[in-house]
Amino acid sequence: MAKVTVDGRTVEVPDTTNVLEACRAAGVDVPHFCYHPRLSIVGQCRMCMVEIEGVPKIQASCTVPVRDGMVVLASSEKALAARNATMEFLLINHPLDCPICDQAGECKLQDNAVAAGLPVSRTVEPRRQFPGYDRTSIGPHVIADMTRCIQCTRCIRFCSEISGTGELSLIERGGHAFVWTHEGKELDNAWSACAADVCPVGALTTKEFRFRKRVWWLDKARSVCDGCEIGCNVSIEHRDRVVYRFLPRVNLAVNDFWMCDYGRFRAEELNGNDFTRPVLRKAGTTRETHWGEALDAVKAAVDAAVSKDPASVLVLGSARLSTEESWLLAQLFKGTVGVPHVEFHADLGPERRIKNPAVPGGWLVGREAAPNSRGAEAAGVARAGKGSALARLLDGSYTPDVLYVADAEFTSRVSDPEFILALCRAKTLVVHGRRTNLLTDAADILLPVASLAGKEGTFVNVLGLVQRFQLAIVPPPIVRTDLEVLLHLGKRWNAFDPQWTAKAVFERMKGTVPGYAGLEWDSAGLVGNDASASPTSAYDVLLERRLANPAEILAAVAEAAGTAGGEK
Amino acid sequence: MSDFQPVLSARLGKKNSCALATYVADGGYASWKKVLAGSKTGEWTPAKVTDVVKASGLRGRGGAGFPTGMKWTFVPPKEKRGAKPVYLLCNADESEPGTFKDRILIEKDPHQILEGMMLASFALDVKHAYIYIRGEMVHGAEILNAAIDEAYAAGLLGKNVLGSGMDLDLTVHRGAGAYICGEETALIESLEGKRGHPRIKPPFPAVSGVWNAPTVVNNVETLCCVKHILDRGADWFKGIGRNERNTGPKLYCVSGHVEKPGVYEAPMGIPFKDLLAMCGGMKGGRKLKAVIPGGSSAPMLTAAEIIDVPLDFDGVAAAKSMLGSAAIIVMDETTDMPKAVTNIAKFYAHESCGQCTPCREGTPWLHKMLKRIVAGQGKKADVEMLLQVAGQMGNGMTICVFADAAIAPVLSAIPKFREEFEAYVTKSASPGFDQPAAAGITSKVAERTAEGMHS
Repeated sequence: MAKVTVDGRTVEVPDTTNVLEACRAAGVDVPHFCYHPRLSIVGQCRMCMVEIEGVPKIQASCTVPVRDGMVVLASSEKALAARNATMEFLLINHPLDCPICDQAGECKLQDNAVAAGLPVSRTVEPRRQFPGYDRTSIGPHVIADMTRCIQCTRCIRFCSEISGTGELSLIERGGHAFVWTHEGKELDNAWSACAADVCPVGALTTKEFRFRKRVWWLDKARSVCDGCEIGCNVSIEHRDRVVYRFLPRVNLAVNDFWMCDYGRFRAEELNGNDFTRPVLRKAGTTRETHWGEALDAVKAAVDAAVSKDPASVLVLGSARLSTEESWLLAQLFKGTVGVPHVEFHADLGPERRIKNPAVPGGWLVGREAAPNSRGAEAAGVARAGKGSALARLLDGSYTPDVLYVADAEFTSRVSDPEFILALCRAKTLVVHGRRTNLLTDAADILLPVASLAGKEGTFVNVLGLVQRFQLAIVPPPIVRTDLEVLLHLGKRWNAFDPQWTAKAVFERMKGTVPGYAGLEWDSAGLVGNDASASPTSAYDVLLERRLANPAEILAAVAEAAGTAGGEK
Repeated sequence: MSDFQPVLSARLGKKNSCALATYVADGGYASWKKVLAGSKTGEWTPAKVTDVVKASGLRGRGGAGFPTGMKWTFVPPKEKRGAKPVYLLCNADESEPGTFKDRILIEKDPHQILEGMMLASFALDVKHAYIYIRGEMVHGAEILNAAIDEAYAAGLLGKNVLGSGMDLDLTVHRGAGAYICGEETALIESLEGKRGHPRIKPPFPAVSGVWNAPTVVNNVETLCCVKHILDRGADWFKGIGRNERNTGPKLYCVSGHVEKPGVYEAPMGIPFKDLLAMCGGMKGGRKLKAVIPGGSSAPMLTAAEIIDVPLDFDGVAAAKSMLGSAAIIVMDETTDMPKAVTNIAKFYAHESCGQCTPCREGTPWLHKMLKRIVAGQGKKADVEMLLQVAGQMGNGMTICVFADAAIAPVLSAIPKFREEFEAYVTKSASPGFDQPAAAGITSKVAERTAEGMHS
């Protein structure tokens, strides 16, 4: 550890810290563009200039490692003059088109210009332009506008050091240099939108979000991506009940600063609700109904079947349900009603990977296509394997009277007609559904439910970490969350109180569900960081947590990895 | 002084001077053979070669004037560097405007360079040395390659050189024509196949250079001096030159308004007026106005400032400029200073590597302003603003010293020849009015700009 004094405040930081981070630890904000905690240090934006006692020349604080007893003057006249100079240089060729730039509001150049820039521009020279390299697509998700680029090379370093794909490079030299893809290549990798995340200005933006919403109008909810079992922490950014985008939230134990494009661009899909009321289908007629009648019909069907044979009811949960929802499902059907078959099926999806130096091997890998198979198992829902009721239903050796599907998208096979035909052999098919698919079309009783953005709960990710996702948008009227549906249904057996919230369910179950003992609903460990991994705030979080307790995160990850390894 | 015999340039006029045979006939490779033979008997050790170079007082001829022997001692000893090899890079990327001394050595006496490199390699335990030659010097690269082939054929390079047990390979690497690749860390990056971007220091190349191995980068002329020091001894070398700190023979590249521009060899510290006399005096007998004493990155000196200055590292530094690569650019009374500075600014705007913001943005800004001024569209405030903009580019604002080099002409010429810059502004189309037609901005914006500048 090294004691460093910054503007009169002394802090103790690890020896490997650079002066920029030490300043942050001391509460002194040193603005910067090219520095990123996960990318190699190039020291070329020259924004983070500070004075260091005993060093004659002004220094770029990101490039200087701390030394015990170092005295840093981060806010001296000389340091501020140097930063003002850099800002002036950055702005003389910047188009200053903030009103039509999508980065406005979350732009580091804008922030620093407002905070420290000169009130007027001293230049009258024509500004540099890059005809042919402005507003141009460079990949499936990213649009580049080189007139706005400040040549910080973060995106280049992201592509060479994090994604390892190296599509981007500086072309030309000096004032004419610009970032572009190599000849004939596209910026097309699994994390390409992170290159736009690390861009401090509006030079790289994503096609999906571009011009959709001014960022300052967006409300944010801390959530967890449900695209795979990694469970990347995301910020659901929404406005007026519309989800506009996901941004990765920093979580050093899970997704670090990143998330994959597949997960990120699931965001807008959360907006769709094809059903606004429960639907009953009987003898070829379809009618919308109210919740009371629909849930009564479910109870009647289940009761009738159970009175004959409890094994004639098959309840299919899902690795996409929260642990709370899975627990309610297991409690209600296995416990109260006495159904033996409460199962879920987890698909293996395309392998998703996130680079994280805290994870052994450096990469966190997600193979299952759903976020919460571990939570479902812990809550008492059995994984459907060989010989399970689901397997027997599919091979034709078992026909349930009632098939209760708590998630219409529990497997990718719901688009397979043969698969659906097998499920339809059940006399009564109850389905929780949001988007139309073959299974919702076949349902006898369809219960409309909300998307991830409309509910809250916890997932258990691939490392065994319990992560909470928060409510982003209130679902449309009449549409209920899976949790509410189960509570209201349980009320019909006097099992649950419909007033329970997800938190109340969490508190009830945490004593009995493995991995949940001692967890606190509102603890930082569960909800993660507020900050999104956007360039403005990314490293604050890293620093705060690392400085608070450097060993904590690594220990947690090592422990979780150990447990996960034991299971396999 | 008159009894000074050229050393480095001694063989330049001779017939077939590039050939190994003539070089050997003139006593070439004697030191290399002597040292290799002595290495077996223990008479010569790497440390002893280094000590001789140290004792000679040789300072790097590339521009900074850093003591060569001391630079060599910064390489970590074998027990500290482990299995990592040491590399010697000969910096032949001679690209400082006004400098052409290395080129003539390369093209006329390549074996002199090779022998210097061999001796330095011996001193530094180098197994593979590189010559990084400027991309444009195709002819020079061909000559060097031919010389290296000859040296291999003669057993002076390769495995077990002359039966000494020492292996040494030598490779010529051509640059791609970037000025910045003469900066040693940019040269290293370029040699590694990357963009020529200077590195953040520390670590210095002696500790972690090319491929993260200890690396010594020496200039062509420096390495030639090493050969002569080993030929004739440190005391002989020290005997040439103005004083203990500025020793040896020196090549001066004189260009501009002199009767006979060219490369002149003289003892280190020759007074400027003597060098001028060697060059036949000012062209057409005109009056001396100013001199850039060390390549375009050196601050300009007026006639009065330069005339008695001894041209060595400390002498020129005392006059608040630098000897640099000893590229003496002489300007007579007909020189239009704003135009000369604009020309230099254009060069630096073109050659900035673009890594650091102040340099990438500042060098074109200076050039644009100067271009506007000499085009008759300057405004009064421009002259002061040139100084201000230049003033916020250097002195630690950037990774390497390119920006400091780029601002030197502006920061030295404007105070010394301010009236010439102001004359352009006063006779400009719109003096004092902040509306250059070229910028094409509305007058409202111009007014606001003017207000901002005066507030």
